[in-house]
Amino acid sequence: MLNRVVVAGYGAITPLGLNADDTWRNLVDGVSGVGYISLFDTTDFKVKIGAEVKDFDPIDYFDAMTARHTDRFAQFALAASLQAIESAGLKIDGNNRYDVGILVGSGVGGLDSVAKQLETLSARGPSRVSPYLVPMMIADSASAQVSIKTGIRGPNFSLISACATGTDVIGMAYKMIKWGEVKVMVVGGADAAVTPIGLAGFAQAGALSRNSEPQKASRPFDRERDGFVVGEGGAALILESLDCARSRGANILAEVVGYGATSDAFHVTAPLENGEAAARAIELALAEVDRDEVGYINAHGTSTPLNDASETRAIKKAFGDKAYKIPVSSIKSMLGHMMGAAGTIEAITCCQVINKGIIPPTINLEHPDPECDLDYVPNAARAGDVRIALSNSFGFGGHNSVIAISRYNGQ
Amino acid sequence: MNVFDEVKKALRKVNPGLDDNKMVSGALLKDDLDIDSLDLVEVAMTLEDVFSLTLQEDEVDNIKTVGDIVSLIEARLKVRSA
Repeated sequence: MLNRVVVAGYGAITPLGLNADDTWRNLVDGVSGVGYISLFDTTDFKVKIGAEVKDFDPIDYFDAMTARHTDRFAQFALAASLQAIESAGLKIDGNNRYDVGILVGSGVGGLDSVAKQLETLSARGPSRVSPYLVPMMIADSASAQVSIKTGIRGPNFSLISACATGTDVIGMAYKMIKWGEVKVMVVGGADAAVTPIGLAGFAQAGALSRNSEPQKASRPFDRERDGFVVGEGGAALILESLDCARSRGANILAEVVGYGATSDAFHVTAPLENGEAAARAIELALAEVDRDEVGYINAHGTSTPLNDASETRAIKKAFGDKAYKIPVSSIKSMLGHMMGAAGTIEAITCCQVINKGIIPPTINLEHPDPECDLDYVPNAARAGDVRIALSNSFGFGGHNSVIAISRYNGQ
Repeated sequence: MNVFDEVKKALRKVNPGLDDNKMVSGALLKDDLDIDSLDLVEVAMTLEDVFSLTLQEDEVDNIKTVGDIVSLIEARLKVRSA
């Protein structure tokens, strides 16, 4: 028999707070986490804004030696995962350490560590390159650190699908638990791309907003949108089989009820314009649930001209006329684009929407775009009784990933 | 420049939590100070810069204790001053 899969806890380090609760409060209040970049000098850069995590000190979460030997992205992942494990009341010991697995992904991994060591290589030669470079840059270093710090010894790997990473980790872990391969999974996504090379790379690809007003720059579905805002952070959830959660008396927050993944077979950065493959991912995520019960869609909503239009088409293709009745919002309007962490924080937001009965808004939606004509919950949060929420994530290269999260019915 | 003090500084750069009292000559790097092989490479890099010398890989590979590092550096400095 297949297992049901529930969410038992979560944690988050975001541009709007150093935990999931603070982040949620700011999202509901429509607060923007975007500002001028402070992590490095942007004098020579065309784009000078980003959504930085503020006041994060890794020493608040783990020892100084680990902090020194991990990239910022892995620090976010580790901090969020430790929060998630604590919030789930999950105790790792000799009896369960092989029953728990880890799947923490990242879009760009230790980009800053690579960039800094390349400078060292050029300036001082190979004998001065850090022995920690490889364990700091590899994208699975976050997943590895979670195991090392917690003693978890079940399956442990990483997954990369650009900006869909944070949703695919949940989808894959959901399947692993559903099929009985593991009882509990720590899943997470993290990225720290607000770095000189990251900002330059995304700007050169034409993906970033040039808006000079930081807090107005991320404006998904608005006619004047002109690109996304690079964000950073980490988020993690504890997924668990219903049986396991019940047997240890866990507080069940929501249930994962579907996952769909497709690819565009189209372009390295642009989405398939008619939204066909994305619509298929939505349909796959809804395969085992009643689509009439979907009461909220957390959009990928990056604020790029192409994504928001093609995502709107995908939602309409999947839901038909009912699409106009479903509230759709993009929290990237406030968090910027947290890259590999985006899908994960968005899944946490879906759990919060279901449990708190509030739908966070899409801020900066001031000029309607005829191509984006759904209900995007513009500018102010609203009450909503949501039984099933969808979270869409799409990534460079044409990854389309969607998960469906349901209110836990207590049975 | 006191070699022992510089070695302690290099060790603490790698493991900021190290207690001064634990960094005695006979202390085992791995078991007593939580300094692994990657950390030792960094310690060696730091000391090479401080003392302007180049350590050979096999010399570093043979290091087990704090005292081994001090002796290695002192021996190399002696050769240079001779």
